[in-house]
Amino acid sequence: MIEHIEAALHRPNFIAFVVLFLWGFFIMITHPNLVKKLIGMYLVQTSIIFLLVTVGAKKEATVPILQGSDATGSATHQIDPADYTNPLPQVLTLTAIVVQVATLGVSLALVTAIYQKYGSLDEDEILKRIE
Amino acid sequence: MTNHLPVIIFLIPFLTAICMPMVGLKKRHWCRPMALAAVFAMCVAALVNFSLVLDHGESRYAFGGWSISTSLPAAPLGIEWVNDRLASTMLVALSFLASVCLIYGGPLLPQSLGKQVVHYYTLILLLISGLSGIVFAGDLFNVFVFLEVAALSAYALVGIPGGRALLVAVRYLILGTLGASFYLLGVVFFYAATGTLNMADLAQQMTDKPELMTSKAIIAGSTFMFIGLGIKMALFPLHGWLPGAYTRAPDAISPMLAGLMTKIALYSWVRIMFWVLGAGAEIGHVHLLTLLGILGAVAAVVGALLALSQQDVKRMFAYGGISHIGLILIGFSQGNQTGFAGAMFYLINDAFMQAGIFFIAGAAIYQHGARTVDELASLRGGSPWMIGALIILAMSMIGIPPTGGFFGKWQIILSAIEEGNYLAVGAVVVATLLTMAYFQRLFVRIFRDRPTSASAPRVETHLSIRVSVAVTSAAIIVLGLCSDPIIKFFRDVAASAGL
Repeated sequence: MIEHIEAALHRPNFIAFVVLFLWGFFIMITHPNLVKKLIGMYLVQTSIIFLLVTVGAKKEATVPILQGSDATGSATHQIDPADYTNPLPQVLTLTAIVVQVATLGVSLALVTAIYQKYGSLDEDEILKRIE
Repeated sequence: MTNHLPVIIFLIPFLTAICMPMVGLKKRHWCRPMALAAVFAMCVAALVNFSLVLDHGESRYAFGGWSISTSLPAAPLGIEWVNDRLASTMLVALSFLASVCLIYGGPLLPQSLGKQVVHYYTLILLLISGLSGIVFAGDLFNVFVFLEVAALSAYALVGIPGGRALLVAVRYLILGTLGASFYLLGVVFFYAATGTLNMADLAQQMTDKPELMTSKAIIAGSTFMFIGLGIKMALFPLHGWLPGAYTRAPDAISPMLAGLMTKIALYSWVRIMFWVLGAGAEIGHVHLLTLLGILGAVAAVVGALLALSQQDVKRMFAYGGISHIGLILIGFSQGNQTGFAGAMFYLINDAFMQAGIFFIAGAAIYQHGARTVDELASLRGGSPWMIGALIILAMSMIGIPPTGGFFGKWQIILSAIEEGNYLAVGAVVVATLLTMAYFQRLFVRIFRDRPTSASAPRVETHLSIRVSVAVTSAAIIVLGLCSDPIIKFFRDVAASAGL
């Protein structure tokens, strides 16, 4: 048990992910206000993107772009892959952010239409007005 | 040219969707012909693709030429699409059903839509292209992107009627996005453990390094992926969004959603389960297929029970769909060729059944204003053909011979007996009896009760409604009559998945 906690403390980014994810999940499920639900949804998505970035991070490594003498004389220089980070997680992150923005756009459009129709954002209140 | 066919199939509805607002806002009456032309072209391309795959075997499409060699499996550098027998078959079913749904949808659109009709066609074409992307995707992250493309169009489509549908659409959106987030989380775990997203490459790594299957990252990743896709496919305890969304969605949309959305999500789980994890996969000492079998049995029985207790016709059929997802999962979970073939056959058959049954439910509302089981009695006087189609669909849903539903269920039960899994046999039989019970309720209302209201239909049956209902009923009978070669074909596919 102790070693599990210790191992977790060595990776504060994972703790941050878990906190963000559960926080968003909790808001999403419990809050009756539709906009706050969407905020919770946004937190959940952001936490996963955060995890994706932190998994791809690497200490003392740089962008995988060859510069200066490396670029021209790559045949003579040995290129060590350990010096460079994998760009794929960042690319995935960008795509996931685009998806997230699109989702947020659609959801806000729907919530705006609900507000214009029923004059409330509270789910229970809206259900009462529909009856 | 022919090796670019998968992308062309995807681009046909996608590019038409993009051109739609440009043309449609000026000339509104062009929208429907354009959309229909696009889906028919997609149908033809899908058929050509299917015959090419049958002749030349599977092919893989590497986007932007991102692969080192052309030999199989393609190198996992870029995004890859897999065009194998399973994908091409699904694509034929998808494009065919999509065109029938579009034929049906036109006259049922509310007149109040006006200029918005452009948006309807744009969104529905985006939905079709998203679904075809999921079918082809050979890359876990690509599946996520297309799931979201399809789902975002579905959320907007559900909200079209306004009013209560908006609230249902928001609920669908919140749950659907949660599902997609869980799926993405699973993908992140897979990527962290293996460093690849390509399905073929993942499968290779799983066989090369058996210790991966017991690692926490893969266990957690596949669990999250399953929960995510479980929400998308409306597996029983995660089905919350489905009944409301299908009931409140406009009648022009719900056949498409009922027929395709959940089935395609299930298809992508089948791809991950058999082509990535492998049929013998264990998640934390639990045999994955056994677990799925139990979940499927529960979903099949509870879904049918819930359907029995509904008053609203569309809601009843929506719960029926949840029960069918359970049946299909039972078939896949037997882990033998018969089960896989039966489940795959039932999946395609169910796509037609669900679409057809929602066609009839929508037509009943359109012509007679009949939303509940009691009001359906008015169907008797005015629409004999509609009732004939309803009988065929009911026979297929219950599982009475010449229809496709019987042969699917038969194979599923046979496979369960082959494995000695009598719990699954019992679940299928109980679900069948319950299905019979809720159709009994419908038919008692239609045939025994006196119609309370005037029996003449309010509106003339539109030709396109008749065509689409006739085509789906005929397709179910044809599927049933040709079940033997189709099931043989799927057995071969199962053999290629290592069953």
